[in-house]
Amino acid sequence: MSPMDLQDRAQYLSLALFSQKVVSALMEYVDEDKNDKLRPSLNEALASLRSTQTKRALPRSQRGALAFTSYEHLRTLDEVWSSKDRANAIRMMQAILRAPRSRKTKPVANNLIDLFSKLQDQALWNFEQPKPVSQKVMQRLCQMA
Amino acid sequence: MSDGLAELLHDAAVLYGFVDFLEEYCREQERSQTYVDASGLFFRYVKDLAAGIKEELGREISRATRFPARLPVLQRNILTLKYYLQLLHEHIKPAADAHTLTIPAPLIDLASQQLRRVEGMSASKIVILLTPEFMYFQRPHTYVKEQARLVQAIIPQAAFPAKLGFIALPYSQGPSFFTNLAIYHEIGHFVYEELSKSDPPYRGVAALRSVTNRSLRRVFRDRQVVAFVSKIVESWTQEIFCDLFAIRLVGPAFSFALVEILGMLGFLSTKDLTKFNLTHPASALRFAEHVSLLEEDSWLKAIEQFEPEQKKLLERLAKIPRAKYRFYVDDQALGPQSLVSTFLASVVPAIRKLVREITTEPTRAVKRFEQDRQSIEDCLRVGVVPHTKTSRPPDPVSIINAAFCFYLTSLPKVIGQFEEPEAKNDLRIHSLWAKRLEMWTMKAIEDSQVQDRFRKLKGTALWSFLEKKS
Repeated sequence: MSPMDLQDRAQYLSLALFSQKVVSALMEYVDEDKNDKLRPSLNEALASLRSTQTKRALPRSQRGALAFTSYEHLRTLDEVWSSKDRANAIRMMQAILRAPRSRKTKPVANNLIDLFSKLQDQALWNFEQPKPVSQKVMQRLCQMA
Repeated sequence: MSDGLAELLHDAAVLYGFVDFLEEYCREQERSQTYVDASGLFFRYVKDLAAGIKEELGREISRATRFPARLPVLQRNILTLKYYLQLLHEHIKPAADAHTLTIPAPLIDLASQQLRRVEGMSASKIVILLTPEFMYFQRPHTYVKEQARLVQAIIPQAAFPAKLGFIALPYSQGPSFFTNLAIYHEIGHFVYEELSKSDPPYRGVAALRSVTNRSLRRVFRDRQVVAFVSKIVESWTQEIFCDLFAIRLVGPAFSFALVEILGMLGFLSTKDLTKFNLTHPASALRFAEHVSLLEEDSWLKAIEQFEPEQKKLLERLAKIPRAKYRFYVDDQALGPQSLVSTFLASVVPAIRKLVREITTEPTRAVKRFEQDRQSIEDCLRVGVVPHTKTSRPPDPVSIINAAFCFYLTSLPKVIGQFEEPEAKNDLRIHSLWAKRLEMWTMKAIEDSQVQDRFRKLKGTALWSFLEKKS
């Protein structure tokens, strides 16, 4: 038997930690011009975000990445990022990875910090106040009974 | 000093005090108690993490003074680490409480050894937790591990030990033996999670996952609904997997233990038997799967002369037609039956296949049980620790099954033999003899393991040395 509520809450915390990891790498890049953590963190984030858009598994090189496949991850992501935000995040990450030395990418990185901070905030909120499964999902399920 | 910085300093100081306590607490436990298997590794992780967090907090304060605009981000980071520690905190005290005086150490030792013989689990280790909840469970360690991996990116010196599982026992059941056979089910959760998350994923689990995904996508379309029903089916899958896994390792004694526990928890009421809920499949299905596996593995034939109530109940539940199974999303509302039929038709056969793949055939264990049963019973009947007259110790799985069958069917006879006639209906006396029986069983397992280790020394230099000494 497994304590489900703990498991669910832990999923939200994983998402918060994941966001923190990305934000910390971006902050070091913007504030201190250090980019040793930048590439691995952004690559992992890119792979994870892309996994929400395809049915394919993560590529072998990104197997350790946090795949947004759990209900709790998807729900938090949907709550805080629109599909436009998601596409924007992917574009911004690609831009930073393409030209990390360019001065133009620092403001882009700052915008990305804001986006991931929102995600971290929402994940922490859901961890503190775990909500039952959304009514919409439950209704759809019961309609099939 | 700005208000924001003062607030951050305060939060950081509180967290510093918290981790400082945890570090010292783990150190003190290791000094004062003895633990089985991997508790020490876990305490070491907590100590490394605590030391690393203290350093990280210093860096955060320094960053805040240099880049005040980042204060909200840094506050959020401290909060995230605090929540991670909260989750670990739930493991630390129960792990500290589970020292060798409060748990059935020989059973844990045996289970750990058996675990390491399972395919893909050779280096795995178990941390036992004593929980205040009246429930056995396996702490979902892969989530802790996933978080630990993410935390390690922030605190590099805190590396979570590989293949570490957490099994929780209710503290009231700590020293008992028979009900604690439930840990084999929880070890099943650990194995399932480890094999699921291995890189590359274990082929049997990958095959099971692909069968599940394919069959669910045939029935459900919406992305969130698919994610939600996948989670439900995953829970059902794990429950069936863990039961069958436990039976392969320890035989029918596990089924009897589960009947006892579910009975104690009130999960065997008639209205609940055929009910699937969001986390568990129907008990009737679970026991039907038990009976089917016990029959295929020849265990049922080996115990045919025993007719305890638990066995009769198992066989009765197994006969409930599957058409009676119902899925409820809460106490009242019915969920889609298609989910149950998909699970039964596609997923359950794949679970059976996976269990067979990763565990060894119990043919030898059944044979040893048939050979050793009588001598084990003879020992228990006269109140001595089971042993054999030859140099070959009885097999631990034989001891467990023979002792459990004896406990369920012959305990009153032993009481009648040793006690005054008025003790026949005395609950205190019954409970006392049950405890004695459990102690003899545990001692027999411990002896058997020691003898086994000793036999393995034969032919080595240490063996010659001991021989000369004797």
